[in-house]
Amino acid sequence: MAERLSRPAAGVLAALVAVPLLALVVRAFADEWRAPALVPQQFGLRGVEVAFSGSSGEAFGNSLVVALAAAALALLLAWPAARVLGERRLRHPAPVFLLLAMPLLVPSYAVGTGLTEWFIRLDLDGTLPALVAGHLTFVLPYVILVLLSGFGPRLTALEEVAQVNGLSPLRRMLWVTLPAAAPTVGAAALIGFLVSWSDYGTSLAVGGGRPMLPVVLLPFVGADPQVAATLALLFLAPAVAVLALAVRAGRMPL
Amino acid sequence: MNGYELDCRDLSVSPGGSPVLRELSLTISAGSRTALVGPSGAGKTTLLRAISGLQPIETGAILLGGEPIHQRAVHRRAIAVVFQEPRLLPHLDVQDNVALALRAAGVGRSERRRLAGAQLEEVGLGGRAKQRVQGLSGGEQQRVALARALCADPRLLLLDEPLAALDPNRRAALRRVIVELQQRRRLTTVIVTHDHSEAAELGQQIALMLEGRIVQHDEPRALFERPVSAAVARFFGVANLIPEGSDTLAIRPEHVRLSRDGGLRGTVVEAVYAGDHVRVAIDSDGQRLHAHVAPPDAPRAGEQVGVILPDEHLWRLPSGRSGDAAEVADG
Repeated sequence: MAERLSRPAAGVLAALVAVPLLALVVRAFADEWRAPALVPQQFGLRGVEVAFSGSSGEAFGNSLVVALAAAALALLLAWPAARVLGERRLRHPAPVFLLLAMPLLVPSYAVGTGLTEWFIRLDLDGTLPALVAGHLTFVLPYVILVLLSGFGPRLTALEEVAQVNGLSPLRRMLWVTLPAAAPTVGAAALIGFLVSWSDYGTSLAVGGGRPMLPVVLLPFVGADPQVAATLALLFLAPAVAVLALAVRAGRMPL
Repeated sequence: MNGYELDCRDLSVSPGGSPVLRELSLTISAGSRTALVGPSGAGKTTLLRAISGLQPIETGAILLGGEPIHQRAVHRRAIAVVFQEPRLLPHLDVQDNVALALRAAGVGRSERRRLAGAQLEEVGLGGRAKQRVQGLSGGEQQRVALARALCADPRLLLLDEPLAALDPNRRAALRRVIVELQQRRRLTTVIVTHDHSEAAELGQQIALMLEGRIVQHDEPRALFERPVSAAVARFFGVANLIPEGSDTLAIRPEHVRLSRDGGLRGTVVEAVYAGDHVRVAIDSDGQRLHAHVAPPDAPRAGEQVGVILPDEHLWRLPSGRSGDAAEVADG
């Protein structure tokens, strides 16, 4: 019975997500759409031409590099932290959690402004490493929190099985730990990527004028809805791709 | 395939600062099957973890087949462990779980699958090789865990309460599998349980552990009928400990007989029906005695009865060992 109900329910959910996206696609290719018409008077590629005439291409590349680097670095840094916290090896974990969450309590623009001062001193302002470092401040807590959900006694128990079955530390990592933690790692990577990809405040503060997709997109919202819709679709593309990858990883059982 | 002797010498372990193993010594002869019993918190699991290397030891030595192994990395000890929960790797199917150690040893895929298949046959799971582990019942999962441990061709097999999560029928079935496989391979085996009757069935020898030490290690009958201390007696259900001068006499409740006349006079203070017998508690001059009586012959509470303690079943506790009764207050 539950399965019979779940199919239509999934259809409704998919429609709820897809219909606004469809509207976005129509808007992106509507060269002329005057009220009160329900459908555009003229379709065309003006939105694409304007969107790509400026710095959006470069912004797309910058955002992609920064988000991938921030997510990857965050995973590397979060792994040992989440293991220590997940296995309850700390006597007083509460202050550590508080420290981890602190960047999330402050607006990202404020964090970015504070960091910019230091990046100027270090002659790093506006560089990609500075943007990655800026994004890491709030990507890292999210990634740690997601990884924590998959780390703990269960993973340790499987690693003990690996040990008593003669697996060396490297093989244990490759054959047992990573496959068993893959869905959690996939989810953490997705969150890390999306948090960085959609960041506006830090990118604006630390970027020093370097184009990043959310920063480029914002001025068009309201001013030119067609270009904004085109950029929004561009903005969604890697997020959907990463989501698809994460879902694939998530299908592998923990 | 002959087993290796396990020799634990003066092991001390204090995880988190509080001592769990206290200069524990235990020798298990090659190819034998020993049940390690004790109340919760006695340190049984810690001992198994120390032997396998999962728990570092502070002092002492562990020898397997005469070779010291306590400084070896866990994956180099050739000791297989079956844990209380099956701990199957969820991303592998049944045969690849079983063949994990063979893969680590560099055995080729087709050969290790053949060996895993044969091992699965032995534990009664032939034909399930390609199944996902999530589709198996708890008992089947534990059989896969046993097959995985045996497939590693270990020098020593440690089983940490492998039957604890199973229902009585599955427990009995898996108990038989464990005993048969151990007998066939003559693999030195230690099985942890907190159930003394299960220990008697599983172990050729029983080692009783109390507060981090082995207090008696002998054939099962000795622990049930010739306990070395009051603590051992209480753990194995020797409910009657009767002081006689400076000595203590022990007798099991199933060996105590009741009669209408004759024997020690006493009043029945409690009679509890327990299915195949009635547990009777008698007060005799301030001494509490316990007897197991067949239901048709059981007296009622308040009745006067005679208590007969047959000489052939009375056991005098070794002197000086009766004072440690408090060790197993909850045993």
